[in-house]
Amino acid sequence: MHALEVESLTKQYEKGPLALNNLSFTLDEGEIFGLLGPNGSGKTTLISIITTLIEASSGEVKVFGSKVARSNLLTKRLLGVVPQEIVSHGFFTVNEILNFLSGYYGISNNQEHIDYLLHNMGLYPHRNKKVSQLSGGMKRRLLICKALVHKPKLLLLDEPTAGVDIELRNSLWDFVRELNRNGCTILLTTHYLEEAECLCDRVGIINHGELLRLGKTRDIIKDFTEKEFELELANEKVDMTKNPYFLRKEGVINYFRVPSNMDFGGFLSNVQIDIKDIKDFKVREGKLEDAFLRVLGDGNHE
Amino acid sequence: MNKPSVFLPFWFLYKKEVGRFVRVIGQTIFTPVINSFLYLLIFGVSLGRSINMDSEYSYLAFLIPGLIMMSVLNNAYQNTASSIVTSKFHGDLQDLRTVPLSPIQIVWAYAFGGLSRGLLVGVITYIVGSIFYYVQEAGFLFPHSAIYLLAFLIIGGVSFAFLGISVSFWARNFDQMSAVSAFILLPLTYLGGVFYSIDILHPFWRQLSEFNPLLYFINGVRYGLIGVSDVSAPKALLVLVISMFFLLALALRSIHRGHYTRW
Ligand SMILES: Nc1ncnc2c1ncn2[C@@H]1O[C@H](COP(=O)(O)OP(=O)(O)OP(=O)(O)O)[C@@H](O)[C@H]1O
Ligand SMILES: [Mg+2]
Repeated sequence: MHALEVESLTKQYEKGPLALNNLSFTLDEGEIFGLLGPNGSGKTTLISIITTLIEASSGEVKVFGSKVARSNLLTKRLLGVVPQEIVSHGFFTVNEILNFLSGYYGISNNQEHIDYLLHNMGLYPHRNKKVSQLSGGMKRRLLICKALVHKPKLLLLDEPTAGVDIELRNSLWDFVRELNRNGCTILLTTHYLEEAECLCDRVGIINHGELLRLGKTRDIIKDFTEKEFELELANEKVDMTKNPYFLRKEGVINYFRVPSNMDFGGFLSNVQIDIKDIKDFKVREGKLEDAFLRVLGDGNHE
Repeated sequence: MNKPSVFLPFWFLYKKEVGRFVRVIGQTIFTPVINSFLYLLIFGVSLGRSINMDSEYSYLAFLIPGLIMMSVLNNAYQNTASSIVTSKFHGDLQDLRTVPLSPIQIVWAYAFGGLSRGLLVGVITYIVGSIFYYVQEAGFLFPHSAIYLLAFLIIGGVSFAFLGISVSFWARNFDQMSAVSAFILLPLTYLGGVFYSIDILHPFWRQLSEFNPLLYFINGVRYGLIGVSDVSAPKALLVLVISMFFLLALALRSIHRGHYTRW
């Protein structure tokens, strides 16, 4: 069964843009999926439709086979969401809020799990503070705890690391991996593409509400980036500037740009260089960020 | 998965609602009680002495049930309305859309929260009123009919809590909220017979007053407490039960279709 099915989803805002344009994709149970796109591309709109905060203009969404709707409490129990916008709460402390929220999910005694979450999010020392006394980053960590009180099966993270310091960012991603190992399927959006690259099994790139590319992170990087080889030659006399992949040269160091799917062996046989002439070499793999920009760039030319 | 509890989510939302007004008890309980106290002092005691009631009841006895009902209605309305409005302000109202609470659970949890605060202020108003009454009349104000009294208080509190839910979900800003209070609720309350019997009005105004639902609430409670009323108690009860279900439907609809977005 798919954890999430999005079928021809379209959202036309009243007096606003076409935020989602016939979007379709699925998430398998157990994967970590990254939804990437520039500002205003429709990521939050999609997440808001999954959580029934807003209604789609057409199309439908299923969570573990059940169609989401405002009256469908089943999918609400399976879903956890960390919204992009920070929310505050008026009168209660962090710990009280999490206990009330657990109650709404029908869990009356959840303190142990709440403490586990607070420890993981570094909020345990702040558990008796009111939300208005928390810093911005702490409020975002509280949002993450709120999304997890009921141990959801599908977690939607809308830029969970915006405004969170580096240390916690790393521990947050470790925590996301741990949740994933324990069986939680994860959909996340982020503008930190390096993080998406190490975390996500698959990514989808959207712009203007349309899915431009969807696939395994590694495949997308391969298809849309080039590798750089950096060769340090034994002496300056070896001339490589005629090589078709040659990029530039700094003293004995020569740079080459090759297609991502070419390996070093293939490169060597291709350029016919004597292995004795090579003193050292480095590979710079293409990054998801480069692939992302390429995909968006191609999209614009069409 | 075992069957999820229906009661527990409701209970936690109710506890949150009560917890909220207890946190700010100065605004939510003491201020309204002081208001009632001032009304009792000004109208009941000071002006009341010069008002001649041609009945066995003093003006003070006439006034107390009206004030009790006014407190219950006002505070039940204020509780749900301000809870939802502050949630809109903080942005956490959207949580109601993502948690597995049905509109029925949400409406009743909020309504009982409002009723709890309304009754609390009502009871304190009753106690304060009784003290005034004892000082002035050297007697006690025992309910004429406890059943009617309770029925009107509870139906009133619940109805106005529903109203608070409906108005605050639909409102897009503070101005709309205060417009409803200032141009609809306040006039209806003051013209609903808290301070006077509609018998003293010109027939035209008297007939117009009969379209004011507040008249039925206030006279119902007056009947329950001291046994006099401008309208028949069973008729008033019937009208109010019907209006309560109407307001319930309105509140449910506002949960379905209202605005959850942040202000
Ligand atoms: N409530 C709304 N009414 C009208 N238009 C809206 C509304 N919310 C979003 N939009 C528009 O819909 C488009 C998609 O917005 P959305 O918030 O989904 O983007 P996003 O991908 O989440 O962007 P970001 O990376 O900045 O968070 C944008 O053009 C935005 O201006
Ligand atoms: Mg967004």
